[in-house]
Amino acid sequence: MAVRNQSREVAIRLGVMYIAVLLAFVGLGLKLIFITKENNDEYKQRILSQQAYDSKTLAAKRGEIIDCNGTILAASKENYDVILDVKMMLDADRENGNTDASNDTIRTLAQVFGLNEADIRRYVSEVPDSQYYVVKKGISYEEMSHFTVYTNKPSEENKDNSLYNKNITGVWFDKYYVRDYPQKTLASDVIGFSRSEGQASYGLEEYYNDILTGTPGRKYGFLSDEATVEVTTIPAVDGDTLVSTIDSNVQMIVEKYLRDFAEEYKDNARPGWGANNIGCIVMRANSGDILAMAGFPNFNLSNPDDLSILYTDEEIEAMVEEGTYRDACDALWKNFCISDTYEPGSVMKPFTVAMGLETGKLTGNESYNCTGSLMVADHEIHCHNTYGDGYLSVKGAVAKSCNVALMQMSKAIGPEVFLQYQNIFNLGLKTNIDLSGEARTERLVFNSSNLGESELATASFGQGFNVTMIQMCAGYAALVNGGYYYEPHVVSKILSPGGTVVKNIEPRLVKQIVSNSTSDKIIEYCNAVVTEGTGWRAKPGGYAIGGKTGTAETLPRGNGEYVLSFICHAPADNPEIICYVVIDRPNVLVQEDAKYATILTEKILREILPYLGIPMTEELTDKDIEELSELDLSVLTGRMEFPDEAGDGQANAPDPSIDLTVTDTDSSEGN
Amino acid sequence: MAAENKKVKYKRYFDYSLLFIVLFMLGFGLVMVYSTSSYSASLTFDGDSGYYLKRQFISVFVGLFAMIVTTFIPYQIYSKLKWPAIFGAMGSILLILTPLGFTANGARRWLRFGPLSLQPAEICKFCIIIFTAALLNQMGPKVRSKWKGFWFPMVPTGIVCLMVYILTNDFSSAFVIGIIPLLMIMISEKNNRWPPVILLVIVAVAAVMILLVSKGWIPASLSFRLGRILAWLDPEAYADGKGMQVLQSLYGIGSGGIWGKGLGKSMQKLGFLPEAQNDMIFSIICEELGIVGGLSVMMMFIFLLWRIRDITAHSRDYFGNLLVAGVFTHIAVQVILNICVVTNTVPNTGIPLPLISYGGSSVIFLLAEIGIVMNVGRHAKFVEEEVDEQEDDQTSETD
Repeated sequence: MAVRNQSREVAIRLGVMYIAVLLAFVGLGLKLIFITKENNDEYKQRILSQQAYDSKTLAAKRGEIIDCNGTILAASKENYDVILDVKMMLDADRENGNTDASNDTIRTLAQVFGLNEADIRRYVSEVPDSQYYVVKKGISYEEMSHFTVYTNKPSEENKDNSLYNKNITGVWFDKYYVRDYPQKTLASDVIGFSRSEGQASYGLEEYYNDILTGTPGRKYGFLSDEATVEVTTIPAVDGDTLVSTIDSNVQMIVEKYLRDFAEEYKDNARPGWGANNIGCIVMRANSGDILAMAGFPNFNLSNPDDLSILYTDEEIEAMVEEGTYRDACDALWKNFCISDTYEPGSVMKPFTVAMGLETGKLTGNESYNCTGSLMVADHEIHCHNTYGDGYLSVKGAVAKSCNVALMQMSKAIGPEVFLQYQNIFNLGLKTNIDLSGEARTERLVFNSSNLGESELATASFGQGFNVTMIQMCAGYAALVNGGYYYEPHVVSKILSPGGTVVKNIEPRLVKQIVSNSTSDKIIEYCNAVVTEGTGWRAKPGGYAIGGKTGTAETLPRGNGEYVLSFICHAPADNPEIICYVVIDRPNVLVQEDAKYATILTEKILREILPYLGIPMTEELTDKDIEELSELDLSVLTGRMEFPDEAGDGQANAPDPSIDLTVTDTDSSEGN
Repeated sequence: MAAENKKVKYKRYFDYSLLFIVLFMLGFGLVMVYSTSSYSASLTFDGDSGYYLKRQFISVFVGLFAMIVTTFIPYQIYSKLKWPAIFGAMGSILLILTPLGFTANGARRWLRFGPLSLQPAEICKFCIIIFTAALLNQMGPKVRSKWKGFWFPMVPTGIVCLMVYILTNDFSSAFVIGIIPLLMIMISEKNNRWPPVILLVIVAVAAVMILLVSKGWIPASLSFRLGRILAWLDPEAYADGKGMQVLQSLYGIGSGGIWGKGLGKSMQKLGFLPEAQNDMIFSIICEELGIVGGLSVMMMFIFLLWRIRDITAHSRDYFGNLLVAGVFTHIAVQVILNICVVTNTVPNTGIPLPLISYGGSSVIFLLAEIGIVMNVGRHAKFVEEEVDEQEDDQTSETD
């Protein structure tokens, strides 16, 4: 019976244990319920977010930026990182029971990419679980193909691939795009830069970022009803290409002379470049197309963080410590021609005269006596020429840039008309040029509450309010083209990645600001500036031009610092090209001299007008011929480097030896 | 034995409900193995999404064959096999060191015979039940209640545990192999106070270890198992490493909700939860079938264990009952530990869910054990009074 009792006892104790198990199950069941109840939504989200991680974004290629000749200014290049899946490679070894996979893979990697085999082996032995070992960064497609010949399975087209090595395992290539600026510093202010996909700073890159960026694609796997993995790919849509109105040859010429000026006067009166800033805009008068827009100092778009043009390494280090480094970068990167404001000075005079003529407050037949200064509201305001210019016609007043005459004119015009025309001339408003970073000047111009008698007087010759270069350029173009105000623009076409035209950007006529007859008179007056007035130095050989000098004193008055400028149109009687040069505080002892701007303008015009195919209007003097033949024609020969799809050798590329003989009877109009 | 002296008629007994629940769980297990493994199988084996299912199906088939064999082998034979059992267990582990030993997933835990592979740890669990039951049966009540009754079975067991732990680096199997005889001794003899004492000591040591590691007094870098303790205490903090699997398991359970996402619709099995078809299958069950599914699986085990325990109530043989108690312990310990791991109730350690998880050796030997239980059930007698009363009415057979 003892045996039987014992077996019963076992059954009883097992029953007790069963109850213990039941209790454990109850506890675990409660825990299950607790986990679900507490975390249901949160864990659902976590799982979904992990799923997203599993899918892969396919990068879209950023569109190109090309100039009007098809020269590439900015383009995205495919680059690859070489990735080694160490784990996969070692797994293959383990499966095969030998080390062929790792030996062949590592050896081929080292050979093709010129790497040290021992380095790779060290990494493999240290991190055998790694699935993402970046063996080499940033190789090109061609470099990649040197490796893929070993891994591409022999196929129909490629039957005898003797290089194929089936042992190579776990190597793949991560594709991405990098932005390349083949012209380096050229038009840096206009183009701007993009350093990571979808992010862009300044210029066209920023303004047209949405168009350039494209739409990234996506590749993701999901489980179908049959529990097999389906991979779906939504391909990336590459960004569109911008065709710019910029002509890189004109741009190159302009930048060359800006740099020459900066270097010529370097460390002349003070340490530093030849001026704080030098800007130049070349624009078509009858469409607002910008042919060139340059600022100096400029920067290398491929390496925008390089500030060595302005600062020494020590200065940069100091700025980094003080935290002003970013500001210094921004100052360099911004586009002087559209982002900086300054007092225009006498370049305003044609605008003031135009107001008077247009409203009938002036007839053009007035005459003024300049004694060197004028008392306005208890202030004695001096003329440019403190000895006085004597008796002057309206035309003479513009030509000689007489402040006294202009002050008298503004008195006749009156503040209401001035303010009205300030608005009509778009001063204080954005031009809406298609570049990012255009300055707002609305608070930097006059309004009815602050335009007093003396303010009106000085405003007539461009002091007391601020403008941007592009405002003056667009306004002046309208004054001399018959009165038609075009919105300045830098992009003429948007092309799809395949090259078809997505959008043509036609010149946009905004308004007519003055009548044709007023425009004709302004042309006449501005031509006199060059023929008999302050702008004579700007005249390039073979061309009659018109323009206006500007010498604006900066604040505080009397500090001897000036912004020099010259705005001009060419040819003189039928303006096609507007060129505006601004030299912000030249590095010379006596800054108050517009010749620095006019000489610089002359150099630029001498080279770009023939290039642009503008017919010469005057006989060349011997001196002109000498100067032209001395011209460094590197730019013209440089054009040959660019793809010339038309194959006609750019018919409008001038051969100076032919053009030298061109004459035009419509020469210097006598006064 | 007393029964042999009298001519008594025994009621033919076969526990069909036990057979039914076992078959049901095997079928359910196959469905879940396919659901959890098809994605990773199709990735790993060139689109063969049924790879794990097919292998498990073969294992279940072999296991059912083993179950039929053991169901018809009179269990009394095992009482004479205690030494073959314990040496067989040790030998199977030593075979790991021979060329038959096979490494997979970075651990040398398998023996390979051509296309078949076996996990010696599972053989050991089977053998240790037979060994302990046979030894305790032989000792008699006086010895069993003494210290010798404890150490005598536990020393060979301890050797097997150490071999499993050291040679195959498999802590969880060693733990299960050790805990089964301990609980069997406890069930076998109420007067032996050593098993509860040792159990308390184990719990105390574990608690102290956890305390020391969590306070940083023992550097967790000493062993990866200590690191798992830290990951257990705060899985989020180790989400990229040791806490990852259990955290993913919790995500799976928590995201399932009450009714689950539906069979086959788990997202965690798509490569996020390692060992989804194996140690972590319960998490996927909860994700796909929800709390209801998880609790149902637990109910199945409750029913299974109830049927197993019920056999001891009918059996009058001490040795047979000990065998059944061993199998009961084996299943109960593994189920509880497995669910504890997937719910992060204990530190992570790899234990399959009996009858449901993928794993050939486990299911084969478990089914063999259940066959033994059924054989014990076949010999079970109903209480004598009933037998006497119903003697004439029943279709009976003599033993």
